[in-house]
Amino acid sequence: MNLRFIDWIWCIRGNLALAPGQSSDEAFERLRSLFQKQGTTHQTTGETLTFRKKDQAAQDAMSIFEGGILHIENQAGGAVLRYILTSRALLFCFLAPLLFLGFAQLNITLGKLDKQATEAAKKAGKDTDAKKKADAEKKEIKLNPIDKMLGAPEPEKPKKDGKDKKEEKKEDKKFSPTSGYVFAGIFAALWLIGRILEDWLIRRLFRKTLLGEG
Amino acid sequence: MGKVARDCGVDMDGIRVGNRVIGTQGRVTVGWENIPKVEGGPFKRLFFTYFQPAVLFAMILFWYYAPNSIVKATTAIYIGIGFKALLLALEWVNPRFDSWRLTWKELATDLFYVGLGYTILNTVDNYIGDGVMIEAIQHAFTLEKLTWFTGLPLLLQAFLIAFIFDFGQYWMHRGMHNWYPLWLPHSVHHYITQLNINKGAVGNPVELFLIGLGVGGFFDFLPRAFLLAGAIGMSIGIYQHINVRFNSPKWWRFLFNTTEHHSLHHSQEYEATRSNYAGSFIFIDRMFGTCIDGEAELLGLEHGRRMSISEQMTYPFTEGWKSLKERFGQQPAAVPAE
Repeated sequence: MNLRFIDWIWCIRGNLALAPGQSSDEAFERLRSLFQKQGTTHQTTGETLTFRKKDQAAQDAMSIFEGGILHIENQAGGAVLRYILTSRALLFCFLAPLLFLGFAQLNITLGKLDKQATEAAKKAGKDTDAKKKADAEKKEIKLNPIDKMLGAPEPEKPKKDGKDKKEEKKEDKKFSPTSGYVFAGIFAALWLIGRILEDWLIRRLFRKTLLGEG
Repeated sequence: MGKVARDCGVDMDGIRVGNRVIGTQGRVTVGWENIPKVEGGPFKRLFFTYFQPAVLFAMILFWYYAPNSIVKATTAIYIGIGFKALLLALEWVNPRFDSWRLTWKELATDLFYVGLGYTILNTVDNYIGDGVMIEAIQHAFTLEKLTWFTGLPLLLQAFLIAFIFDFGQYWMHRGMHNWYPLWLPHSVHHYITQLNINKGAVGNPVELFLIGLGVGGFFDFLPRAFLLAGAIGMSIGIYQHINVRFNSPKWWRFLFNTTEHHSLHHSQEYEATRSNYAGSFIFIDRMFGTCIDGEAELLGLEHGRRMSISEQMTYPFTEGWKSLKERFGQQPAAVPAE
């Protein structure tokens, strides 16, 4: 399978025209400072600079990238810097929604199993005695006179007969898939924002560095 | 008297704090008088001085007087999420340190850990960990034998719950920094090099089972006193990991954990990491002589090496295995002397 059709998910490509008269040596000399960071190794061969990063610092301006190639092409209209940069963070961010959807589905499955187990236990009458004893022990919480004076709301009285609505809601929420869906959505949005933002940011960083404004 | 520990060649001089010398291995600032204050106009200074106490008192008033229909864990979760979003915005407009500014990658990484907590870890909690404890607490609060406690003033109940919880947290945390089997799952959290709102979630899941009660496990039924305690804990403890500078009032800094305290705990200075263990009440550290008032910017372990998500998940086990092999592995055969 040719990854070129899908590698835009985790690869950022771009090109920047060098300033008129700026040689490739001078360009790489200016860009070199970006690759002299903790966890970064780089190698320059002719018109090409290759770099690799491992455990790069959070404060590294290029921390999102694990590696890449920068190549300077001399064209009729002037020299152009072409770059291709790979980012594991972008790839995993793209795949993360699948993971969270998996967690949501797991919750749904476990919820069904739990419900079956609870109903089977009820039919067997196992929890009835324990629950009756627990209900008998429940006492109304009384408000302290200081709290009464300050106007705090009276606590709710405990319900005695049968299974109250709160307990039913509790069992529904125990294996709720909602948080899985929410985080799947969050990571889908994060990938979209990151893919656009980081593309723009790296282009701006290279441009400023080449112009000596870095 | 406070000082700043600075480089003096290979070994730094350090500053004596009680029985210990702080600052021989990493750059730290000791003493409140040496810590920068929020500068700017009168409104800005007023805002960053009284924001923390105002939020604490607002939370107390809310949970004290809220009608029973909204006094539940889901309300607390939504308030927590909204408050974190506000604090993230504050990080944007008034960062403590530029080197702690959130990038897209750091935000995505932090949210991944937060997401794990809300999903798979919550699922696992239904079977082990806090699920049993939570049911016991919910049941106990309506028992006759505990009416002596539930009959106390609400605020006192809330304070006692928060204090007892933090007291336990203090000793568990101190144990994590002093006993290798507990240090292993906790160590990965100390590889963070920035303090931001969601960085508290960064770490190995095993550690979370050791230190936390998941609020989500309480669902809808929860005694008001517990929610009050949780709100007090959140309104104080949330500032442990945050890239915002506040001019916290003197009484706040004396009683409660601050970003300054926690930055020292996360610094690259070894002795400073062995301090400020409490989550909310720094006076617990003062009681046991483990409090240092100060701050640090350079954080982390191994000179600030950033640890990837995969390594955070596996490091406690790989390091534990290495240690076991070193300790119990075969000794090389003795070579007879010539």
